[in-house]
Amino acid sequence: MAKKIIIYSTPTCVYCKMAKAFFQEKNVAYEEHDVAVNEVARKEMMDKSHQLGVPVIDIDGEIFVGFDRDALSKALNI
Amino acid sequence: MYDLTIVGGGPAGAGAAIYAARKKLKTLLITDGWGGQSIVSADIQNWIGLGSITGLDLAKNLEQHVRSYGSDVEIWDTDLAVKVEKKEDHFFLTTKSGKTLETKIVLVTSGSRRRRLGIPGEDKLDGKGVAWCSTCDAPLFKDMEVAVIGGGNAGLETVLDLNPYAKKIYLLHRGPALKGDPVTQEKISKMEKVQIILSAQTQEILGDKFVSGLKYNDKVLPVQGVFIEIGSVPNTEFLGGLVNLNERGEIIVDHKTQQSSLGGIWAAGDVSDVLYKQNNISVGDAIKAVLNIYSYLHKEGHI
Repeated sequence: MAKKIIIYSTPTCVYCKMAKAFFQEKNVAYEEHDVAVNEVARKEMMDKSHQLGVPVIDIDGEIFVGFDRDALSKALNI
Repeated sequence: MYDLTIVGGGPAGAGAAIYAARKKLKTLLITDGWGGQSIVSADIQNWIGLGSITGLDLAKNLEQHVRSYGSDVEIWDTDLAVKVEKKEDHFFLTTKSGKTLETKIVLVTSGSRRRRLGIPGEDKLDGKGVAWCSTCDAPLFKDMEVAVIGGGNAGLETVLDLNPYAKKIYLLHRGPALKGDPVTQEKISKMEKVQIILSAQTQEILGDKFVSGLKYNDKVLPVQGVFIEIGSVPNTEFLGGLVNLNERGEIIVDHKTQQSSLGGIWAAGDVSDVLYKQNNISVGDAIKAVLNIYSYLHKEGHI
């Protein structure tokens, strides 16, 4: 079954764009929350990652801070 | 054996790769990312020929331009050079992923990375209020009080990025006067929420789970965010002392040719002791290096 991916991002964040481009390139579906405007999602992101910085990527509960192509590939087996 | 191995994929590395391909040098480019440090810039307005471009688009353009030369340049773009050793008349390189290679020439375009304050709390609270990318993270500091450390252009631009979000911005600078462009200084001095603090010696970033304050000159600012913009450190560790560096850790080059102190190693861009760290200058210097490398290889009868 496909893993559930959530990305917490801001509109001006380059590494968020790179992460999304990576998911699109790999044909992986993801859900996006813009934490610049969505305060509930911002709180959720801080609770999950214990930090303040984007992107935060949640893959079935596994939390990644920043864009690390190798780590994401591993987590998604791609 | 490669003729030329380019270490780094910023503007200097990309410029060098394109010229090397056109000279038909057997070239390898190793990088862990394209575009260099300005990739996070929201709007670059001084890239010659384009009035405005984002750092990310500039990075993509550079990559595409290099790739348009196809097999003339070999690209390892998810790797990093970690070691260079001198053999008799060539070099032996090792990468982070464990690959090795031999090359006649090394062109170092590995750029620089952010300088850290080196004070207590900085490492522990990294990402927990200590921030390095205002274009990325400014919105997360909505209605908070933040400190920006560094009065150069990067510091001033960070203040501009934070202005729509933060409640109060303290701009701390170590020297007696700000250093960034007067146009931006003027803009910032008119912002009510910005307080400029000069001759500030930062001492400690305070906080348990998240940043709760910044100690400087034995005073404490009640901030929840600290953006650090105090310049850069050249990426030269992988050279392990093969070439001479200046007191800032930059590779000393002959500015006519970009040659380092060791025959066979050239350097260009922010990793070199170039006086001005600029994308356009990095490209030009890297091209200068490749043209000089090309004539060196010919003269020495290597190609």
